[in-house]
Amino acid sequence: MKEIEVTLLSGRTTKQGIGLEEGKTSDSYEKSVNLIFLNQVDIETLELTQGQPVKITTEEGSTQMNWVTDKNLDSGLAFIPYGPWANQLYSSKTSGTGMPRFKGIKAKVTQTHEKVPSLLEIIESLRRKK
Amino acid sequence: MQIQDIVCPFCGCLCDDIEATIKEGHIEDVKNSCAVSRSKFMNHTSNRLTNSSIDGKTVPFLEAVDAAVKILKDAKRPLIYGLSSTECGAIAKAVEIAEVTGGIIDNTSSVCHGPTILALQQVGESKATLGEVKNRAELVVFWGSNPTESHLRHLLRYSGIPKGIYVPEGRKGRKIITVDVRSTGAARMADEFIKIKPNSDFELLQALRAYVRGQELDIDDVAGVPSDEVRRLAQEMKNARFGVIFFGLGLTQSLGRHMNIDAAIGLVGELNRHTKFLLTPMRGHYNVAGANTVTTWQTGYPYAVDFSRGYPRYNPGEYTSVDLLSRHEVDAVLVVASDPASNFPVDAASYLAKIPVITLEQKVTPTTLLSKVSIPVATAGIEAEGTAYRMDGVPLRLSKIVEPPSGVKSDLETLDLILQGLKGGT
Repeated sequence: MKEIEVTLLSGRTTKQGIGLEEGKTSDSYEKSVNLIFLNQVDIETLELTQGQPVKITTEEGSTQMNWVTDKNLDSGLAFIPYGPWANQLYSSKTSGTGMPRFKGIKAKVTQTHEKVPSLLEIIESLRRKK
Repeated sequence: MQIQDIVCPFCGCLCDDIEATIKEGHIEDVKNSCAVSRSKFMNHTSNRLTNSSIDGKTVPFLEAVDAAVKILKDAKRPLIYGLSSTECGAIAKAVEIAEVTGGIIDNTSSVCHGPTILALQQVGESKATLGEVKNRAELVVFWGSNPTESHLRHLLRYSGIPKGIYVPEGRKGRKIITVDVRSTGAARMADEFIKIKPNSDFELLQALRAYVRGQELDIDDVAGVPSDEVRRLAQEMKNARFGVIFFGLGLTQSLGRHMNIDAAIGLVGELNRHTKFLLTPMRGHYNVAGANTVTTWQTGYPYAVDFSRGYPRYNPGEYTSVDLLSRHEVDAVLVVASDPASNFPVDAASYLAKIPVITLEQKVTPTTLLSKVSIPVATAGIEAEGTAYRMDGVPLRLSKIVEPPSGVKSDLETLDLILQGLKGGT
């Protein structure tokens, strides 16, 4: 499996904002936040094909996401909209500030044949987590 | 019926020029809204939480209130969290619930601009209203902030396009600079984009500060930016008649957190020896500034306040929600107008499934789906009135333009009933 290392950024997007006002259980919300933005060079390195999800892994956890090309990102940078999928990847450690690090963490991105989890599957995984 | 001058209850811009067409008690159309605001007004009835519930089973509203009261009474260390997307009266009521229960009250600023507050408390701030920015600012810097995705009318109403008393040419009379780690929409509309390496904002801010002080640095580049360019930017900031740095979570959520803001305040402090310069956080939720303000006037502290000793104590990192949940230090949570199951890292979010959670919400969310008690409430600013604080600290009145669904009460009314129950009333 092809693999790259990226610096992970997260943030708001307009589509995410529109989607959450339709409702967190709406299709438009789910589609707006279960994806990762990648540079074209990185997509070619990973030899991704349309419709094939990617797996993102950090020290804290991993999840599968859809991907989209972002020509404005440099190679080695990846962006994920805030949401339940992104939060599978972050640590709760705040270094005494109350604030987790949602931006600028290292992650590995690989090809995967696993499917992207649904919102309800993520909620179930929260219930099962020890 | 046409209603004008409605304040938008979505982001910290609190745009106060929204117009709505109401027909037979429903919002038929809105004008002047951005795409997200339009979605909020036009979809306020979509995916609603339709009934109060306990363990997923529909119950009468007052039964859910009683269950909430029992959970909070039985809890040894309850957390009251959220509050940034509701109005100030409800926030004040939530503070009182924290006091009565000996619990902890925290708001969403602990995961957005909490580090900003930490730095401001150490150093102070140079601030003014967005009206002053509109009328005077000729140099506008967006640092770690992308208003083209998160505050869609900020540039239009306050910081970019509008003609001001001392900026009569509007956009042509202003220089806009964006500093970010990636080329955002804000970077592409700016006159100048300074791309920096991730997690290096602190270094660049300190280098700018040194150049503003007239010091020289024996280095070729800072944060990936050539030193000559940093020196020129410092000079440009000094030469501006009136400048402002609007900063976002690019500073508070990356390496350095509050120390990045400390450095930014230091830079602005140095600039004020030469000219007038402001530092303004781009607050996200429409009343997160109000959550800080109300909690401060009620307890003396803006967030992360513990009442377990009967008086308020403040300690971010200890009484902040992510820390409390990930360390399993609370045994019940009252969530108001927020969705921590979606917004918190997995360790903290998963603990919400292990303890009784009471959630007051308009819509079905991952948090309501994990909650023991869910209570539907009216949407503040659409179905309930109140007050909210804009990102610059200006309070504005929210309107009630339509009725909430039948039998659904506001956050304020629902929290008041819970409070009465906790005090032994009916």
